[in-house]
Amino acid sequence: MHSSEYEGVVLGFGDEIINPLWKDYYSDNFFDEMIASDGMPRNASKGLYDFFNSIDEKEMQDRRTAGELAIREMGVSFTVYSADSNTDRDWPFDVIPRTIEGSEWDPVSESLKQRSRALNEFIHDVYNEQRIFSDGIIPSEIVLKSPNFKSACLGMSPPFRAWAHICGTDLVRDTDGEFYVLEDNLRVPSGVAYMLENREVTKRILPELFEHYDIRPVDDYPLQLYKMLASLSPRKNPKPTIVVLTPGIFNSAYFEHAFLAHSMGAELVEGGDLFVDDHNIVFKRTIDGAVRVDVVYRRIDDDFIDPEVFRPDSMVGVPGIMRAWRDNNVAIANAPGSGVADDKVIYSFVPEMIRYYLDEEPTLASVETYLCMNEADRIYVLNNIERLVVKPANESGGQGVLIGPHSNREEKEKCKESIAKQPRNYIAQPTLSLSTAPTYVDGKINPRHLDLRPFILHGRDIWVTPGGLTRVALKRGSLVVNSSQGGGSKDTWIVELKE
Amino acid sequence: MLARVADRVYWMARYLERAESIARVTNTFSHLMMDLPIGTELTWRTLLEIFEADKDFRKQEIAYGEISTLEYMIARPENMSSIFYSVKAARENARTTRDVLPEEVWESVNELYVYSKEFAHKSIDRRNRFNFLTNIVKRCHALNGLLMTSQIRDHTYRFIKLGHLLERIDITTRVVGTVYSAVESRDVKNRAFDSLIWAGLLESLSAIGNYRRSIGPMAEPHAAINFVFLQGRLPRSLVFCFSGIRKSLTCLNGHEKVIEPIDEALVMLDSFNAEKMSPKMMKIFVQDLQICAERLSLGATSMWFSSSSS
Repeated sequence: MHSSEYEGVVLGFGDEIINPLWKDYYSDNFFDEMIASDGMPRNASKGLYDFFNSIDEKEMQDRRTAGELAIREMGVSFTVYSADSNTDRDWPFDVIPRTIEGSEWDPVSESLKQRSRALNEFIHDVYNEQRIFSDGIIPSEIVLKSPNFKSACLGMSPPFRAWAHICGTDLVRDTDGEFYVLEDNLRVPSGVAYMLENREVTKRILPELFEHYDIRPVDDYPLQLYKMLASLSPRKNPKPTIVVLTPGIFNSAYFEHAFLAHSMGAELVEGGDLFVDDHNIVFKRTIDGAVRVDVVYRRIDDDFIDPEVFRPDSMVGVPGIMRAWRDNNVAIANAPGSGVADDKVIYSFVPEMIRYYLDEEPTLASVETYLCMNEADRIYVLNNIERLVVKPANESGGQGVLIGPHSNREEKEKCKESIAKQPRNYIAQPTLSLSTAPTYVDGKINPRHLDLRPFILHGRDIWVTPGGLTRVALKRGSLVVNSSQGGGSKDTWIVELKE
Repeated sequence: MLARVADRVYWMARYLERAESIARVTNTFSHLMMDLPIGTELTWRTLLEIFEADKDFRKQEIAYGEISTLEYMIARPENMSSIFYSVKAARENARTTRDVLPEEVWESVNELYVYSKEFAHKSIDRRNRFNFLTNIVKRCHALNGLLMTSQIRDHTYRFIKLGHLLERIDITTRVVGTVYSAVESRDVKNRAFDSLIWAGLLESLSAIGNYRRSIGPMAEPHAAINFVFLQGRLPRSLVFCFSGIRKSLTCLNGHEKVIEPIDEALVMLDSFNAEKMSPKMMKIFVQDLQICAERLSLGATSMWFSSSSS
């Protein structure tokens, strides 16, 4: 294929000699994170591009091997569920970092804080005054009938009115390079350990690049997380007891649970390690007897956290923890019920929430969303399904998503039936042209689509990771970035440019 | 330290020790069976009896024989006294306690498991058996060395030590008890080869070299038993193990009650002399020691591993 037949990004402008690794690098009409539309590297990527242009295939392969080795040595893995066994796999990692200029990132970071403030106000309102319904901004039934709405949380007022303490917001860039919010993960967002490990790996395999680049560090995340969690402690002792509650070794994110506990110096506990006494105090069972727990960073979904209140068959939860939380004897992060704002129907109302609660204009764009529960939208979706991405309102990890342009007739028909049956459960969005970045696949550097998941910590203060976890679809043309479905990841550099 | 984590590192250590002991004893036993002249040998059943696997073995109506016994002791996944089962259980316990152990421990335990999984069932016949059993012992040695040289001396280390030494007490008493009664109950006229059995017993408890140096070249039953029970500098002797646990546990809250059976056992051992024991007395003595070990295990479990809810 001769790239010159197409518009868009074509490398090798002029008579420059092209490194064979980069031969035919061509990103169609997508926004490319490294190469601008004139075929030249963007400012923040210049050094990176020069470096990867100066090495040959052998060295590229060596760096990649070094990266794989580092990942194995560091024991970075994730669990893949399959029919008969769960296997730990090495984390798929691409050696070429993704860069964003600091000045470009700062407004995004501010916008994420704005969003977090509005979302937390919303959750608080839903479980308290419910003004947003009475003022007619959001119809109450779509919230109150959502499975993520938990009536057990009504009337609760957590410290700082903060409910979603840890939020992973997925961002994408469209053809114009503008950032859009794809979704807010407010239940138990994962991936931050991989963000940290990606940086560790990159420092090992591309050490020379850190000499000339001014890259914002990410490794104080565990400290920030600790500070945020400590700020929630109901007892005002200087060193509150914080635990990370995991469902156990068979959870796909167990590695991350252990990693975060370890890097905060907190204990990794399972449901059976905790109990609640008659005075509604949470304790952990230690070799020296019961020790009071102040803050639980739980990595278990609401439905499983307390068999006394939610699913009685849960084996991984802590019976009575909701009593303790309601009596303000323990902080739970994220607060139970936070998931009510983690719903793709609610997502479409976030710009309204920002105006309503904060009296500000939203500064981060949302993707146009069709709510299948509205008749006009539904008709549009059913007639234009081949151009749309259809998503279930309540799933995570890319489950049940139909990408119109990439699906066959049968899949589309099946999806239409599901929409007709349960319209509240589906939303649709235009297929976005996700941005691309150079990625080393099949012995060459090729453009691949990616997204970005920054993490927002919301306690006494609000803090946003510099950058976040970049996930990349390793298959050509694919828009699916989830690691469970063949996605990889990249280190993300927020780069300060010298004047 | 979480009670659950303490419990798991304790069991990891026990299962590792068990895997090594089964490998060591099985290896010696199989050599012994080749060395002893026909008519003077022990039966394969004795090997099963040492590890209390005899009852389950019979339940499954397997015929006693070399191959069936060794398959059962080396590779049978549902036999709780097999090498494969022990390695697997050690791995499960290490997997969820990675964060309190040196990084390489998990890696080595995992490799041990991968190795056993691939080779255990291929190592039943005489040709491959030796190699496999030796490898299991070597890998366990490497792991013990790793723990000894890199584990910080914290409570984790103390519970590892407890599991490790308690399992040794268990194995040493079982080996002595079972072999002693098996030898005594044989209807054999020619006892000229019995010293081979006693040398084998010492070998299986890594004591043969030291025995020869301090007692003499000929393995005699009473001297051998006294040696593996009372020699306080021998790492598999009962005195060594009981005193080691006692010393290690004194740093832990609530140890006073837990160590009571240790003191009882040490008092019993203090006045022990195999020469003055009839076979019947010996049997009762060994059982009493095993009861002390069992009480110690139960005491530790209720004091530290289950952690009361108030």
